[in-house]
Amino acid sequence: MLKFLAAGVAALAIFAGGAVANAQTLKMWGPEQITEPLVAELWNGIKADFEKANPGVTVEFMPPTGTISNGAVQSAIQSDAGPDVILTNSGIGRISIVKNAGQVMALTEQYEKRGWKDQIYPWLYAELKGQFGGEIYEVPDGLDALGIWYHKDMFAQVGWKIPATWKEFETLLAAIEAKGLQPIAIGPRTTGSAGHLFGNLLQSASGKEAIGKALRKEIAWDDPKIAAGAVRLQKLVEAGFIKKEMAGLDLEGASRLWFNKRAAMFVAGPWFTANARKAGYDLANAGYAPMPSDLPGEAIPTGGVGWSWLVPVNSRQPDLAMKWIDFVLSEPVMKKRAQAPASTMIYPRELTGIEPPTPVLKEIFAVAAGGVGYNPSVYLPATVLDTYFQVIQGLISGQVTGEAGMQQIQAKMAEAK
Amino acid sequence: MITSETPGSSAAAPLGTPVDGPRPAGATQSRHHPARSARKEDSGGNSDSHDARSAIGLMAPALVLYAVFSLLPIAATFWLSFNSSAGFNTASAFVGLDNYVATAADPIVWQSLWHTFLWLIYHVVLAGGLGLALALAISRLKVTQVFFRTAFFLPHLVSLAVVGVIWANIYDPFYGLLNTALTELGLGALTQGWLSDPALVLFSVNVASSWQGFGLYMLLFIAGLQNIDHSLYDAAEVDGASSWQKLVYVTLPGLREVTTFVISLAMINGLKGFATVFVMTNGGPFYQSELITTYIYRLAFQSQDHGRAAVLCILLSLLAIAITLVFNRWRARLSR
Repeated sequence: MLKFLAAGVAALAIFAGGAVANAQTLKMWGPEQITEPLVAELWNGIKADFEKANPGVTVEFMPPTGTISNGAVQSAIQSDAGPDVILTNSGIGRISIVKNAGQVMALTEQYEKRGWKDQIYPWLYAELKGQFGGEIYEVPDGLDALGIWYHKDMFAQVGWKIPATWKEFETLLAAIEAKGLQPIAIGPRTTGSAGHLFGNLLQSASGKEAIGKALRKEIAWDDPKIAAGAVRLQKLVEAGFIKKEMAGLDLEGASRLWFNKRAAMFVAGPWFTANARKAGYDLANAGYAPMPSDLPGEAIPTGGVGWSWLVPVNSRQPDLAMKWIDFVLSEPVMKKRAQAPASTMIYPRELTGIEPPTPVLKEIFAVAAGGVGYNPSVYLPATVLDTYFQVIQGLISGQVTGEAGMQQIQAKMAEAK
Repeated sequence: MITSETPGSSAAAPLGTPVDGPRPAGATQSRHHPARSARKEDSGGNSDSHDARSAIGLMAPALVLYAVFSLLPIAATFWLSFNSSAGFNTASAFVGLDNYVATAADPIVWQSLWHTFLWLIYHVVLAGGLGLALALAISRLKVTQVFFRTAFFLPHLVSLAVVGVIWANIYDPFYGLLNTALTELGLGALTQGWLSDPALVLFSVNVASSWQGFGLYMLLFIAGLQNIDHSLYDAAEVDGASSWQKLVYVTLPGLREVTTFVISLAMINGLKGFATVFVMTNGGPFYQSELITTYIYRLAFQSQDHGRAAVLCILLSLLAIAITLVFNRWRARLSR
């Protein structure tokens, strides 16, 4: 009897020991709006599915405290107590910061081994392969498509519509201002917000190809062809279509102007649905259109990789992190996310049979299907970005001219390796 | 006969009495007892080295902490300033004085240096001045002094980041309390882009920072006021001095020590200015509120250029040392 009991205890101990040995925690730097109920519901569901598929694994969300742009991601990794896998705002400019600091793993091999290369758009894979001499450090989670958001009821009431040409757009801006409204709201204290409008203006004035060349250093940023977009911003400020006071606003302050209909237009991407929902704005009233351009075929949104998964070099669970990325890229999870009311982005591969949860997302997907240009904020080298954002602030606060501002950006671009 | 050398002791210790043995009543043990002196001479330097070892042992924990948390970071900062380093996880390359040359050639460094100087002056004047004014205003109150003292000190307990968020909303050009109040009062012409106007932004942010800091200075001034001999006021009263004369000839001279302390404290706090700028403007617009501290953060944690950030850290330290030396010299001259 005693022998039997002892054997039972030993078996229990081995079982318990095995369970403890198998227990693993994956610390994840989660999505920005994780504290929002709808977003939390979606991600808690994904977490539960992953844990169910991987017994003994617990996923622990670390609420993000910032981005690569403000140094929070780098600090978290450097602390050596940071996340095992990170979802954050990306693009080559931001990724190069953590890549150059040796903070994130190269994932190139995983793309082949795990078939990730077939789970994103082929053009997207080609773009990633071309960024760091063939090495890839991110797995795209969502793409951005930045264009003009407007109030459908306001525009219908007055008979306004987003025109096709820049000349007509200037007429529209004047008409809006005459009504005592702010034509365009912008919050350049949040660097991203500054870059969204500026990128739209650059592309509208110069076209996608020219901006692509400038990003590849094939044409100078102070070339009049590229500087034309900066001159446009300068003129919009001088005409009072963008108030100088907006240089002191952040994204929240500027979007408050738009949500309260004191501003007619706002340049943002699909992620703005989350901000709108949080502010209690009726998303059915939101319209979306690309920035008008006099260049044929150039009235398209700007964009690029908006959010990516990264694996820190000091991840304590690198294998589990790869499994998590496998899981997120899987068809059921991606479809679940795309159809969820909390969905706020364009996914990195084509998803068939999906109905976007809000009408404005449907509009954005339709416009983006025609192609997306470059948002320089995510493509510029890290060492240039700061100057780029400060020049935009300088243009809005009337401290620098379009040409002089672009000269400063070009000077930084020339220094960048 | 050998007697005890203890003053006031007349009792003699008989020869042969053991040092640690019983002593006659009334006798005290000499610190220079011959037997002990002899023993000390025998042991020579051993005792000294034992004392030194004990001292080192006692100081070791503090020394280790000081070395780990102060000396090593200082050394690492100097090392970083001569290297090209993109992050702590990467190998760095020795670049000699390149970081120093690049820093000297960077116009934003000079701009942020000037802003830091202005920031310091604003902080000393605004926070120190407000602290003194309020201390003078409430020091004579009898019943309500505690209430006002507490109320005015409360902002000091609020985190600077929270203060930044609150004041950024107050300064909002479209919905902010300040512009709205001015408009409601019929002073719409005075509304400003408090955080967008290049000429105003540094001052505006400093007001927020000083609002958070003045409470501590006020308390120090109140303590100083309480130490002024009240008979001086009585004498001035007898001499027919006006309130203004009492302030100038009695109160302010009586606060000299506290004032110098407050100024030095305010200067140190001014040099450390970072949080409110970071939260409210992030150095913008177009670097118009950039301080050395915010530029260090920008270089180190946004651009991952640790080498140049280290150079600026050294520059900031030198600046702090220079200001302290000049201030101490001024204070010494003042007290002579």
